[in-house]
Amino acid sequence: MKVFRSHLLICGGTGCHASGSLNVKKALVAELIKRKLSEEIKIVETGCNGFCAMGPIMVVYPEGVIYMLIKAEDIPELVEEHLIKGRILERLLYREPTTEEIIPTMQEIPFFALQELRVLRNRGLIDPEKIEEYIARDGYQGMAKALTEMTAADIVQEVLTSGLRGRGGAGFPTGLKWKFAAASPGDVKYVLCNADEGDPGAFMDRSVLEADPHSVLEGMVIAAKAIGSHNGYIYCRAEYPLAISRMNIAIAQAKDMGLLGRDILGTGFDFDLEIYQGAGAFVCGEETALMTSIEGKRGMPRPRPPFPAIAGLWQRPSVLNNVETLANIGQLILRGGAWYASVGTERSKGTKVFALTGDVNNVGLVEVPMGTTLGTIVFDIGGGIPKGKKFKAAQLGGPSGGMIPMQHLNAPIDYEKVAELGAIMGSGGMIVMNEDSCAVDMARFFMDFCQDESCGKCTPCREGTKRMLQILVNITQGKGKEGDIELLEEMAPIIKDASLCGLGQTAPNPVLSTIRYFRKEYEDHIRNHRCNAAVCTALFKSPCQHTCPIEMDIPSYISLIRANRMEDAYKVLLRTNPFPSVCGRVCDHKCQTKCRRGKMDEPIAIKFLKRFITDNAPRPKTEPVPVTRNEKIAVVGAGPAGLTAARDLALRGYKVTVFEELPEPGGMLRWAIPAYRLPRNILANEIADVTALGVEIKCNIRVGRELSFTKLNKNYDYVYMAPGAHKSQKMGVEGEDIPGVRGGVEFLRDFNAHEDAWVKGEKTLGSKVAVIGGGNSAIDAARVALRLGADVTILYRRERKDMPAADEEIIAAEDEGIKIEYLVAPLKIEAKDGKVSGITCERMKLGEFDRSGRKKPVAIPGSAFTLAMDAIVASIGQVPDLTFVPKDCGVSVNKWDCFDLAKGSKSQTTDARFYAGGDAVTGPDTVIGAIAAGHQAARDMDAAIRLAGGEPAYEEPAEEKIIIPLIIDEEGEEAPQGKMPELHGPDRRASFVEVELGFSMEDAVKEAARCLRCDAEV
Amino acid sequence: MEKKIPITIDGREVEAAAGQMILEVARENGIFIPTLCHYPGTTKVGACRVCVVDVEGARSLVASCCMPVSPGMIIRTDTKKVRDAQRLIVELLWASGDHNCLTCEQNGNCDLQNLVYWLELETPRFSIQFPKYKQETTNTMISRDLNKCILCGRCIRACNEIQVNEVLDFSKRGSRAKVGPAFDADYIDSECFFCGECADVCPVGAITFRQSRFKGRPWEIQKVKTTCTYCGVGCQMDLNINNGKIVKVTGNRDYSQPNGGSLCIKGRFGLDFVNHPDRLKKPLIRKEKGGELTEASWDEALELIAKKFSEIKKKDGADSIAGLSSARCTNEENYLFQKFMRAVVGTNNVDHCARL
Ligand code: SF4
Ligand code: SF4
Ligand code: SF4
Ligand code: FES
Repeated sequence: MKVFRSHLLICGGTGCHASGSLNVKKALVAELIKRKLSEEIKIVETGCNGFCAMGPIMVVYPEGVIYMLIKAEDIPELVEEHLIKGRILERLLYREPTTEEIIPTMQEIPFFALQELRVLRNRGLIDPEKIEEYIARDGYQGMAKALTEMTAADIVQEVLTSGLRGRGGAGFPTGLKWKFAAASPGDVKYVLCNADEGDPGAFMDRSVLEADPHSVLEGMVIAAKAIGSHNGYIYCRAEYPLAISRMNIAIAQAKDMGLLGRDILGTGFDFDLEIYQGAGAFVCGEETALMTSIEGKRGMPRPRPPFPAIAGLWQRPSVLNNVETLANIGQLILRGGAWYASVGTERSKGTKVFALTGDVNNVGLVEVPMGTTLGTIVFDIGGGIPKGKKFKAAQLGGPSGGMIPMQHLNAPIDYEKVAELGAIMGSGGMIVMNEDSCAVDMARFFMDFCQDESCGKCTPCREGTKRMLQILVNITQGKGKEGDIELLEEMAPIIKDASLCGLGQTAPNPVLSTIRYFRKEYEDHIRNHRCNAAVCTALFKSPCQHTCPIEMDIPSYISLIRANRMEDAYKVLLRTNPFPSVCGRVCDHKCQTKCRRGKMDEPIAIKFLKRFITDNAPRPKTEPVPVTRNEKIAVVGAGPAGLTAARDLALRGYKVTVFEELPEPGGMLRWAIPAYRLPRNILANEIADVTALGVEIKCNIRVGRELSFTKLNKNYDYVYMAPGAHKSQKMGVEGEDIPGVRGGVEFLRDFNAHEDAWVKGEKTLGSKVAVIGGGNSAIDAARVALRLGADVTILYRRERKDMPAADEEIIAAEDEGIKIEYLVAPLKIEAKDGKVSGITCERMKLGEFDRSGRKKPVAIPGSAFTLAMDAIVASIGQVPDLTFVPKDCGVSVNKWDCFDLAKGSKSQTTDARFYAGGDAVTGPDTVIGAIAAGHQAARDMDAAIRLAGGEPAYEEPAEEKIIIPLIIDEEGEEAPQGKMPELHGPDRRASFVEVELGFSMEDAVKEAARCLRCDAEV
Repeated sequence: MEKKIPITIDGREVEAAAGQMILEVARENGIFIPTLCHYPGTTKVGACRVCVVDVEGARSLVASCCMPVSPGMIIRTDTKKVRDAQRLIVELLWASGDHNCLTCEQNGNCDLQNLVYWLELETPRFSIQFPKYKQETTNTMISRDLNKCILCGRCIRACNEIQVNEVLDFSKRGSRAKVGPAFDADYIDSECFFCGECADVCPVGAITFRQSRFKGRPWEIQKVKTTCTYCGVGCQMDLNINNGKIVKVTGNRDYSQPNGGSLCIKGRFGLDFVNHPDRLKKPLIRKEKGGELTEASWDEALELIAKKFSEIKKKDGADSIAGLSSARCTNEENYLFQKFMRAVVGTNNVDHCARL
């Protein structure tokens, strides 16, 4: 045999063909000839590697280096570098999506490393058009064993022992199927291979046929011997031309070698087969429909019994197995059933191939042992979700499967578990969905597929799926009605129960599983016309506006920027938001997460544009509003929630008094967020507008201290309580009460109250500070401590991507020189002389997934270590302080120290005259969440007052008409989000001057022009 | 058939023969299970699913029309689950068609209508949406209004399996599925033989007989069993009579031999001659050469024939007379006729049009 110094295995699967592997191969051949290397280096075209999204792929042996996304132009360089100079060409290697780490060899890439290849064992290794290569890898040995050493009963027994279950969907034990067909009398029997892969996104069968066609033939011959058949068909969809051509080549080669046809291996056993090309109807994957189709009739299922084992194709005993099942057989027989059963779970043995697609980094074919957890497949093999989005659910089992949500990431995937969770194994399609998928819309999508593919024979499937689809379409279009969910729930089990074949019997699964796990989304669509994923476009004008908790009219003000009409833009901002310049700086900008531009390149910098308006236009003047109503209203807490409610109520003519415990209004905006993020005058200006309306703010008054709760109750007709959450949560570790251990918000509050003293050094943390936590206030505390001259380390118990703090804040902290230790949790605060001397921590590793879809950190035993520290700031979360509410006053407080709301209300407490909102209801949330709560409370209080007085509902005064220009760029070119100019240099680390400098006019207009104007009705 | 498989239906222990379907056994024992797609003598397709029953231990409901009995089966035809499924199915069919019974020819003789009533349905939970197909009135024999079609497929099986004319099949998929001749042609443009079998088996008003449109409600019609006069086969049929007139001819599966309820185009659609004004009802005699034919009584006519035949026979011998009989006569009539020619007239000159 000829020896080559190197083998280049270039992928020739359909995926890589489509991405250009044939051209790459051509270029390679030319280059090797040019450099006279053809005699030293051999090119082999293999079948699909399963990593199609990264194609064209090429593996260089003996090193095992894998190159991806190769273009023909790369070839000269690749040959020069790798094959001549012996240097790996880094730019074509794999990069870990989360860590960006470069991984040269196939074995080390988690996508490949964590798989267990049985069905796909030859993928990428052999040339599928050369039978010798299959034989060299133990091919046809299982068949030889079956034909020469085993009786039919032995074979059946071996397959029974293996526990192999049909991989086409239903999971019926393969051995049992064969046993029935073997026992069925008749001299003409058929072995059929189902290669009518119809699930959108599933391509494991195609891949096997293309990469390892002989494995299927071998399986079929063994099956034939087991049941006593001499004829077979492979039913393959005509859309798989490459698979068909490779199968045909394989059949011809096998016949030539006496491995198929008459007198196989001289044993006297005959088996011949043909390929039958199906026209691609989904229902033809159903076994009886498939047989009817081979018979030349309309592919419609027929009732069972009679079962195919008794009367199948042409009424003869038949066995139908799918490609993946058959591809398992050769090895199973060669190595024995016990070997096969050595991996898997109790009742699901062996491995399963999944087609991993959707919102996942590594799209491709994945073969893992049964019982591998969903989380392992999606996160470890699949590399997690692109763009840092959150995992929502995986649709398992194709369009008639079910969705498995986040809380089941630890579920071991096998037939039993999958059924228990409301999905099906199906042929192994796994579509990953991130937080931007709408459950109702997904259900609609899959139902649309099923109703379209219904053959129309039986009533429940034909008419039932159509009507279910209509209901779903209505819901996604905002035309849903009360009772729709219940009607779907009534229909689904009947359709499953009464339909003739598997299509109808499974079609309602996506609906049932989404109702099961995402019922609230259905209700939100129907009752509130809300699609939180911002997918169902009929429900909103633009996804950003829909996602903003106060539904700011984002496209309008963006277009006004583009038109350079800043004053109008400011007016648009103030329509919904009393604090636009605050939000322009510190909002967590949920709107941007759903910005449609983000699907193309990056979302619009909505927050920065908002700030740009308030920085660059004069603030519209606020006129006082005369008091026209008799009811007196008190607001407790002058934070964003309280002030928003006060403002809205004042606008409606109420007399409002706000009580604030601290010396100045603003709540967290004033007392927690540092000035370098939100300058004081900016906040003060916006609060001044609230007082200008006529709202009275009384500071230094804590209810329950300066003003008794009884008095508040007596002197005011209605009370809105929004005291926020200003108390740090305890860490629950030893030494927490030693002086020098502070809560995050307590520290920030003290600093903001006594900034001078801190800056002058009259107050100090010490020189080494540890901040515990990963939220925004932890980062705030750390950056303030840094500005006070400390050496700061943040300790966080999870990974960076799990940090709740805004990404830009984390980056800023790192830029400023703050160290962040991940996967570390405090154990004990060390003290010396009654003062903090350090902190002992434990290292964590990631364990199972928790309900939030993140991996739970678990302590590594014996990993404790101590860091010397002068101060500890514990910022792991905040709780409200509601001690001012008397126990028996009728306003109930729950076990999380938050207000309980009256049933069905979004703001009323359990006492009808008391309303509450903001962090004191939800626990620590965002500024914009608090503003939304304030709006809500004002609306609810006003409505309740009017209802009690028998008055008509409040009517908003007519808005000033502002014409919004519509300029849409036809062909938007890809362009990233504009960068916020920042303060740099030593100034930044040492001062409390605002870090973000604001967009220039040019930046802003350019950014505004990126907006796709989703609101436009064209 | 020897009854030997014991099963329980609705608490009653009954015996069934091997290979019998649940539906059959239930019917034999007077237990009603509704059906729509089921049609005796054709393939069991299990399509409509209204015949579902609850079988203990089965993982889903079971279509009784195509599920063979097995020993010890415990079946319930009346559980809530069964009724819920039947209701949903019937509501779905109702809402998917233009079931305006006011004008429907099948009103009062419709399986769907009966089922709606039997299930005590007031109104479907779904809005009525039918496909708005054009009604087919391009031939004089069969009308089709597929807006009323419930896609049971009975017409297809009747056409392919009973008549073996192989004209009808399904086209399209899912809720767009449609029955009819190839290429969605009208019957008149297809290979259709107009045997009317499809109209006879259609459980609803989708395929109906054109001639009888507005000619009488099912309850006004009187059915009279008769033998078709067209040929010697002797097909048994029901004349549907209203006000003394034949409005249509229907098959009847209960009349087993020789046609088992099937008819051909002539028997089905050719009997309108009965009431035709040109039809001869009395014998005519031409009394003088060149004169008019005038009505006569049967006695007069037969007497004249006997007299003339006797004269001819006497003058020229019996073989100068020949007899020719019609294929529309029955075998018995033909037998009598040749007997008459041979024994009475005395000649073997007897023949029949069917050998032409
Ligand atoms: S087919 Fe039946 S249900 Fe439909 S309109 Fe006619 S009588 Fe009524
Ligand atoms: S009339 Fe007869 S031949 Fe014509 S479609 Fe109907 S059943 Fe078939
Ligand atoms: S036309 Fe009549 S018999 Fe034919 S499928 Fe429709 S309802 Fe059934
Ligand atoms: S009568 Fe049984 S399925 Fe239609």
